[in-house]
Amino acid sequence: MDNNMGHNEVKPDSVNETDISIQYMKRNVKRDITEKIVETIFLLCALVGVLSVTAIIFFVFYKGIRPFTGEDAYSIKDFLTGTKWAPSENIYGIFYMITASVLSTAGAILVGVPIGVLTAVFISEIAPEGLVKIVKPAIEILAGIPSVLYGAFGLGVVVPLIMKITPEVQGQSLLAVIIVLSIMILPTIVSLSESSIRAVPKKYREASLGLGASKIQTIFQVVLPAAKSGILSATVLGIGRAIGETMAVMMIAGNPTAGMPESIWSMVRPLTTNIAMEMSYASGRQSEMLFATGVVLFIFIMLVNITLIKLTSKAGEK
Amino acid sequence: MLSRQAKDTIVKGLIYFSAASTVGILAVILGFIIIKGLPGLSIDFLTRDYEDNTTYVYSELLETQEGNSTEGYSERLGITLDFDEENGLVIAEIDKDSPVRNALDGNDEKYTVKKGDILTRIGDLRIDREFKELDSKDEKAAAEFVQKAIDEIDAVKEDSVRLRVVRIGGGIVPMAVTTIYMIILSLMIAGPVGILSAVYLNEYARPGKIMTTIHFAIKNLAGIPSIIYGLFGSLFFVQILKMQYSLLAGALTISIILLPTIIATTEETLKSIPKTYRESSLGLGATKLQTISRVILPNALPGILVAVLLSIGRIVGESAALLLTAGTVAQIPHALFGNSASGATLTIKAYTLMKEENDLTSACAIGIVLLVIIIAINVASKLITNKFLKKKGI
Amino acid sequence: MEVNKKPKFEVNNLNLFYGDFQALKNINMNISSNEITAFIGPSGCGKSTFLKTINRMNDLVPGVRIDGSIKLDGLDIYSDIDVIKLRQRVGMVFQQPNPFPMSIYDNVAYGPRIHGIKKKSVLDEIVEKSLRQAAIWDEVKDRLKRNAIGVSGGQQQRICIARALAVQPEVILMDEPTSALDPISTQKIEDLAVELKKDYTIIMVTHNMQQASRISDKTAFFLSGEVIEFGETGQIFSNPRDKKTENYITGRFG
Repeated sequence: MDNNMGHNEVKPDSVNETDISIQYMKRNVKRDITEKIVETIFLLCALVGVLSVTAIIFFVFYKGIRPFTGEDAYSIKDFLTGTKWAPSENIYGIFYMITASVLSTAGAILVGVPIGVLTAVFISEIAPEGLVKIVKPAIEILAGIPSVLYGAFGLGVVVPLIMKITPEVQGQSLLAVIIVLSIMILPTIVSLSESSIRAVPKKYREASLGLGASKIQTIFQVVLPAAKSGILSATVLGIGRAIGETMAVMMIAGNPTAGMPESIWSMVRPLTTNIAMEMSYASGRQSEMLFATGVVLFIFIMLVNITLIKLTSKAGEK
Repeated sequence: MLSRQAKDTIVKGLIYFSAASTVGILAVILGFIIIKGLPGLSIDFLTRDYEDNTTYVYSELLETQEGNSTEGYSERLGITLDFDEENGLVIAEIDKDSPVRNALDGNDEKYTVKKGDILTRIGDLRIDREFKELDSKDEKAAAEFVQKAIDEIDAVKEDSVRLRVVRIGGGIVPMAVTTIYMIILSLMIAGPVGILSAVYLNEYARPGKIMTTIHFAIKNLAGIPSIIYGLFGSLFFVQILKMQYSLLAGALTISIILLPTIIATTEETLKSIPKTYRESSLGLGATKLQTISRVILPNALPGILVAVLLSIGRIVGESAALLLTAGTVAQIPHALFGNSASGATLTIKAYTLMKEENDLTSACAIGIVLLVIIIAINVASKLITNKFLKKKGI
Repeated sequence: MEVNKKPKFEVNNLNLFYGDFQALKNINMNISSNEITAFIGPSGCGKSTFLKTINRMNDLVPGVRIDGSIKLDGLDIYSDIDVIKLRQRVGMVFQQPNPFPMSIYDNVAYGPRIHGIKKKSVLDEIVEKSLRQAAIWDEVKDRLKRNAIGVSGGQQQRICIARALAVQPEVILMDEPTSALDPISTQKIEDLAVELKKDYTIIMVTHNMQQASRISDKTAFFLSGEVIEFGETGQIFSNPRDKKTENYITGRFG
């Protein structure tokens, strides 16, 4: 058979010509079933993601809504508007935590987004090749640093610095949280803004420059407006990061058990740290209340997520 | 009214300032961690157990001619003893044929005494007590202290002696091992699921409800913060499935966290594989599965590798979710789930060192280790990406 | 035309829809063995769609619907023949040379391997024979282990032809196989097609009317999803029966 490379040689040796023609007519049932089974396995894997989201939502909400139902239900109003968290006295108010989360996120966006967008402009529009090679990897490393190390940095550098200027007795404060969070969202802001700036067609820039605009004018009048939706997505993603950050914040926030933040020097207790602080030893009502805190956090995150998905799918349609 | 040029200069200055502060912040963070952590970093730190480990062992004694012992050297045990200001009597050198290499512990299992181990008791001699009474500045007393121990060994009449050996801790080995376990276990779970999901989404799924739902779910997963995953994991895996704080509960929780990254990265790679590869493979009479396994996946390998590297980075850096699912005990987990399955990863330990023990130096020393891992991962995935792109001539 | 020769393909009342759009309208055609049949027509006329229907590559397109029948040696390709087996018998060469990013050897051996041949000596022979048939053996025999992406476009296309031949098909579909190639490579592929028709049935879509007239035995002119005219190539080009065919081949549109 080695000398003769006729038509049959490709097929298994034992099969003769007539068998082959019969084979052609028949569907290979075994193979089709295998293919179908494999496809089903692939589908099941793909559904793990859906299942996880569903399970997370279900369990967190299930446990988090419990304290507000039944005989000794806790008042939702007290929970959402209270400014004291004292599990031992059966007082669970998280309004001051919501405020803390919102303020620290807003602060981080206010500081982080301008710096991030300008850095993105630097990388994509202004910087010479050599500098890009320094700044970009720096941002990638910044993105990879674990939150715990940001916490260490906050605890070892930011808090002592604040200690020197604060009117309060401690350095742990809203300001410390804002500083560390704005650093932590930088990589997200920079890399997303950069790619949306790069996606702006060259012809826009040429047209603007051709009309006698300066490079800086072109960037701010033409390029950034054209990259708006990407920058917006970056901001929303940054909000998500900031509001969900836990470990770094926990080390520098002070985490008081009561009291609205009065100034940037005040200690704060964002929603995330409330959960992380007490979850390991909480039980019963206290544990359920931590899940309730999680539900509130989750609702914020959902709003952010849905906004983001809307934004990106709109950008995708364009 | 400022002139256009002046305005441009100011704005340009702001842009430079922003970029410089971004890089500057990184430099400060890295600098801080390195300067703070370097004093805590040593070979011992990297190779030792976290806790001190005390073991009673029985070692045989060698027959020797008397009076042959030189300073600090015990011929009967074949070891050289030395005085250590902190811990007392340290084993400085062990002969190749020393019987302590084959010592037995209380359960008659082999326990190899190692260089650097501390002896706190020889037979009935309480070396630790002697050490407490000793003035460690007094060199002569120290020499006598060592000699006393050697005399004690020489004086044993039986052919074996009981020793209490303390292996000094202060190292990060258990956390490193836990981290490696966590990486392996999480990747074993999330890797196949994520890659197969991506294959389904890119190769099988037709645009429609199922695909939209899956994509929506995955995008949502990506936006959920670790702490929520931690809450879910601590309720579902730790409590409801009764895994307790454990390796498996942690790994399962992390696996869900990893899914979006693995799926998105793999999907992107699969998308970049030219459609013609699929067409020509199918055109040659290959089945879909053959096409996927022989053409698509081999070509997607670099991208999958990058996904795996990114995942390792994520696992190494993860804290909030693990804090609530795998616990904070500095030990090597002995099981996947249940009582002795809990263990802290390096990152978690860095956190507890700071928060509970106020030990910023050790935390930053772990930080250096973490940074090295993360930078290595960054460089590796860069290299793979560049090579991959070059090969495809893009 | 030999009257008593059984057609390789019999196409009856074939209609093809992409969703609501009808891409092929009532196609009837018999395609003979050991001939080159050329499909010509302007872009979007359905000739490529029809070609891809012949080995059911259109199955991959979502929302595609087909009625009518295509018979291969008397067997309906949609109901009587397994799709994988069909594609083994009816190979395809694409417009863009598309070797896999593997070695030349692995490219050609891909088909035999997926059909279960593992023995090295058998594979070696199939690879050599296919490369020889595709008239590229002499150019690549010393670098079979090199990546197929590294050779010229014309060579890549002949490797793709060899890859198709290695599955031992009966029919080879060529979808504008020379449109991405230079004139010299095009010449080589055309010579090769003429050589190959001794052993194979070749159906080729082409934009290039000289190419169709040079090498094909029969030509079908497609327009808006319909076959306007189908017949001996000589007749179509010298004496078209339909005014639209004449307009097209004389270059009045397209």
